[in-house]
Amino acid sequence: MMGTIRAGAIIACLVLGLLFTLVSTVGVLRLPDIYSRAHTASQADTLGAGFAITGVVLSLGVQAPTIKAVLLLVFIFVTNPTAAHAITRSADEEGIEAWTVDDDRSDVDLAADAETGGENA
Amino acid sequence: MSSKRILVPVSETSTLRETVGYAVKEALDGARSDDPGLVRFVWICSPQTDTVTDEQKEAGEEILSRASLWATEDAGDHEAELTVETAILGESEYIFSPSDVAALLEEEVAASDIDRIVLDPEYDPGIGAPLLRPLEVELAQRTNVTVDEAPVERATRRVPLLRQTSAAGVGVLFGTAFVFYQILNGAFTLFDLVTGTMSATIVAVTLARVSLNRRPDSGMPVRIVRGIIYIPYLLYEIIAANLVVSAVILNPRLPIDPRMTRVRADVVGPLPTTTLANSITLTPGTLTVRVRGQHLVVHTLIPWARDGLFDGSLERAVRFVFYGRGSMAIPSPKERGDTEVLQPPTEEDGAASTDPQTQEDTTGGAE
Repeated sequence: MMGTIRAGAIIACLVLGLLFTLVSTVGVLRLPDIYSRAHTASQADTLGAGFAITGVVLSLGVQAPTIKAVLLLVFIFVTNPTAAHAITRSADEEGIEAWTVDDDRSDVDLAADAETGGENA
Repeated sequence: MSSKRILVPVSETSTLRETVGYAVKEALDGARSDDPGLVRFVWICSPQTDTVTDEQKEAGEEILSRASLWATEDAGDHEAELTVETAILGESEYIFSPSDVAALLEEEVAASDIDRIVLDPEYDPGIGAPLLRPLEVELAQRTNVTVDEAPVERATRRVPLLRQTSAAGVGVLFGTAFVFYQILNGAFTLFDLVTGTMSATIVAVTLARVSLNRRPDSGMPVRIVRGIIYIPYLLYEIIAANLVVSAVILNPRLPIDPRMTRVRADVVGPLPTTTLANSITLTPGTLTVRVRGQHLVVHTLIPWARDGLFDGSLERAVRFVFYGRGSMAIPSPKERGDTEVLQPPTEEDGAASTDPQTQEDTTGGAE
């Protein structure tokens, strides 16, 4: 009985992890510019990897490697925002203007902007 | 041509005396009694805690009065041809990068009509980073005044990599290294305890002087415990924000409204600011793009996330971790007026985009 519940919880965690990774992928494809995409790209790391590692922790149970899995999560939670910040900061330094709803640039313009470093923005 | 007006940022260095002498000599060069030269000494506070302590201010005032005394001494008979001013800068702001220092000096240049900045070759306002070279570059970009280093006799000593350490510093590092060793090892046998002790000792003794930025104080265990309390709260915020943002992404009918905003966060110091900025970025919907002093430039994806940011719940939680429970009861950034939407929803906002000509061209090319 306990085994079944645990297996169920593990499967649920993995499915949720996959779901959030999927959402993150859809977001990267759908959202307009580098800043909005950075928001959703980090979702795959935080909850996607988070749930996957929670699944690993559940399947390992209480033993020494479990602590390593938790440490893994800690490092992801420290490095993920740092990377997102580094990417958007360099975009900001390149002078790339963030897209807003008032903005009538199309995605083609945004791509051109990204190539020229926002010089014609 | 006005007389030389020179700005000299000062800090406690071995080359300060010579720098003052050089600045005075340069200011007097070409000065007349009806058109006196000016030397303005400024001292930049770098508060590491919530407010500038009186001790810090006294130290600054002490340096400034010493510098102006030296300047009068050096002027000698030409005292009438020289004006000496002093000022303390940056009391209300958290200064932590060369560009912050440069911004402060830039304001001074504009306010006092300065036409030259003389830098002490060992100048270091104590912001915890090697500063001189990046500061010179920043100043050259921001201002059109001459920036030069005072020529000094003494060999320049660069910022030391090694810092002072203490028994507590070694102890903290030993504990961290030992626990980490045991976790990675996972067996806890006598052999592992002995080898762990040995390697942790080596690490602690050799690296204590480079790996800790400041001495561990008595408040550290309390902050660690409060940090552990903070983690579940942060996880809750992350999950809630993830669900809202996921809904916006998956449902085409829910619109996004991305805007760049700026928030002046009421936390001070490298670690609290990093914690807050990282927590903001970890929460989907808000993303820290830049940190300028206490100002965080945050990109927000949806109005819900923007309101959450302006309500400052994460800011309050970070204040709880570093300053204790009493510090939580502050008004939200919105109530303090510390928030600003950098891309307000106006009709003119589109003017910031590509000019019509290029836009037509690129759209045409795509079709």
